[in-house]
Amino acid sequence: MDILKSIYEVVWFILLVAAGVAALEGYFYTHFKFYARAWFFPAVLGVFPALALAVFGGLLGGYTFKLWLYFLLAEAAIAAFFRYAVKGRHTVPYLLLAPAFVGLALLLVYPFVFEVYLSFHDLKLTTIMMWKNTGTLPFVGIDQYVKVFTTSPLSEVTFWALLGRTLLWTFSNVFFHVAGGFILALMLNNQIRFKGFYRTLLVIPWAMPQVVAVLAMRGEFHSTNGFVNILIGKLLAVFPFLAALGVAPVQWLTDYPLLTCTLINIWLGIPFMMVVILGGLQSISSSYYDAADIDGASYFQKLRFITMPLVRPVMMPAVTLGTVWTFNNINVIYLVTGQAGGTEQADILVSALYKAAFTYNRYSYSAAFAIVVFAMLFFFSVFYLKSFDAAKDER
Amino acid sequence: MATVQFKGIVKKFGDNLVLNGVDVDIKDHEFVVIVGPSGCGKTTLLRMLAGLEEITDGEILIDNLLVNELHPSKREIAMVFQDYALYPHMTVEENMNFALRLRKMDKAEIASRVAEASNVLQLNKFLKRMPKQLSGGQRQRVAIGRAIVRKPKVFLFDEPLSNLDAKLREEMRVEIAKLYQRLNATIIYVTHDQVEAMTLAGRIVIMNHGIVQQVGSPIEVYRKPCNLFVAGFIGSPTMNFMTGKLALEGEALFFKNEDIKLSIPPYLLSDAKKHDGREVVLGVRPDDVLVERDGEKCSDKVQGVLEVCELLGHRENLYLKVGGMRVLATVEAFFNRSPGSAVTLCFNYKNMHVFDKATESRISE
Repeated sequence: MDILKSIYEVVWFILLVAAGVAALEGYFYTHFKFYARAWFFPAVLGVFPALALAVFGGLLGGYTFKLWLYFLLAEAAIAAFFRYAVKGRHTVPYLLLAPAFVGLALLLVYPFVFEVYLSFHDLKLTTIMMWKNTGTLPFVGIDQYVKVFTTSPLSEVTFWALLGRTLLWTFSNVFFHVAGGFILALMLNNQIRFKGFYRTLLVIPWAMPQVVAVLAMRGEFHSTNGFVNILIGKLLAVFPFLAALGVAPVQWLTDYPLLTCTLINIWLGIPFMMVVILGGLQSISSSYYDAADIDGASYFQKLRFITMPLVRPVMMPAVTLGTVWTFNNINVIYLVTGQAGGTEQADILVSALYKAAFTYNRYSYSAAFAIVVFAMLFFFSVFYLKSFDAAKDER
Repeated sequence: MATVQFKGIVKKFGDNLVLNGVDVDIKDHEFVVIVGPSGCGKTTLLRMLAGLEEITDGEILIDNLLVNELHPSKREIAMVFQDYALYPHMTVEENMNFALRLRKMDKAEIASRVAEASNVLQLNKFLKRMPKQLSGGQRQRVAIGRAIVRKPKVFLFDEPLSNLDAKLREEMRVEIAKLYQRLNATIIYVTHDQVEAMTLAGRIVIMNHGIVQQVGSPIEVYRKPCNLFVAGFIGSPTMNFMTGKLALEGEALFFKNEDIKLSIPPYLLSDAKKHDGREVVLGVRPDDVLVERDGEKCSDKVQGVLEVCELLGHRENLYLKVGGMRVLATVEAFFNRSPGSAVTLCFNYKNMHVFDKATESRISE
């Protein structure tokens, strides 16, 4: 009987979503269809804010006059927009776009706006009850932003140290992703046997759920049971002179947490770059290499003068993406070091941000912090894409 | 400049035999065009000469030097590719001097060579442009310029005009002919277009199925095709072929099939007795089908029906039906007959070709 109940719940949910979409489409349809009628404004202003209050008032708890006023203002704006800007044009395209657009607005725009709101107020453990009871928060201006740069998000590391560490982490990861991916792609681009098999093997770390991959690798860096230290032990047994060079098993997770995270993340990130670069390599016409052969270019000259410049257009967007992903990569850091009692030695900006919000409960501070991180990535991406466009126009 | 020799060249891709014993000698300063339908192995032969393909068997000599194992850059050749293969991220100038820069040649020497080549090819204006900003014909000239600056012993052209439109192709054909007069180099030129072959070549090498069919001057291969393939491949419109049997009636030799009977004069096939009962194919070019006309040394008159006329301007293509056979005749313009009308035609014996049906090789003089 439990299964029936589950089915019932799923069906009910689907119907709920369908009803939501239908209501949405009906709402927009009304605005498209009757925007020019004389009774348009009084009708929509009379009906929709009241309906919204009935539905959302119940959900948000309280049919207040203020809430109704908000709905009324919003409806007035929307109705005016439909009457004077849209004027019933492009009805079908807009109706088709509406569900996705509203979904995006709920999932992206609303959280972002709320985050900006939070960053100018003060939500923390001591004010959260006040917010719950009164719905208001103390306004603090740019205080939170000042704090981002002057206080530590964690117990000791400063913002600037974290920023430096993040840049180092991002640079080293992306560098090895590109270098490793390039070398593997060059190898796979040759005529070799079992190419598809190798490619599949190499893509596995990327295809696996990251949590599983990271936790598995974390186990391998265990001081006594991980294969890294076991391998070092065996090597020392066979080649004793290595010990004189300073090779010895180490406590990876406690002594070198950031290095461990970097090694794991390099392993995780190479396949993506490899696939992208391999695609780029395969799109280079072989006649360039024929021409270069006749011109007398050696293997490395061909690599430098033909392969590199021609792969660049496909590699640059991948490097931009890779940089943003690595900069924002909380998964690896958190899964390797972040559990309770974890070290702060490996934290980068976003993992510190996560801890500031959910370990230390400094919500507004974290919101400001997140906006600072966002701004950095935003300007980086814009700059990168602009310079990439400029390079492309040269051709 | 240099001579080039192919000796018993064989090329296999796996079990697929692409070239089967190619022997060609190319003299110094010669413009040789290798022509054949697609898949005949002509480009493979050129790429083997350039060193871009392994040689399965046989020897290639440039200036009497065996180059089988020599790296492409050491063979002192230059190649112009079908798709030009201009490096898209380099300017015209950089494309042209790339090989010289790799050789670490003196900068002044590089500059003077590029200037010289761009003068010849009228590329001065475009030196700082990217290949993307050039038209097809200009790109082609850059590709040729890239070959010229290296001062190679042999120029290789791999279907250089096939990516251009018809008008530009004609212009570039003349350009290449002029360039040859100027450089007087050894040029090996691969094409599938028999018009290019006829107009450019000093000598034509006709290939099919990986075998050299005939080597000769354009007029030789046109006037005396050594087999059915060459006869059908060279010349436009295509030669008319008539299948039938030779029969001796008294002293005279006749060609017979269901539709026509033609006497075969001794100057076309001597030793009539030897050919009695032989299955043959007669070949006559459309220009040598005389419609409503008399000519010296012509065959007996044959009755035909006009099916379609195609006016080309100064010439006209007539599609005729003789019994069940189709015959194409090319005549002076304004043949004022409507389709369906009966015409009499005859064949010019001077330019008639007789091929054995089984071996497909030429048996007439």
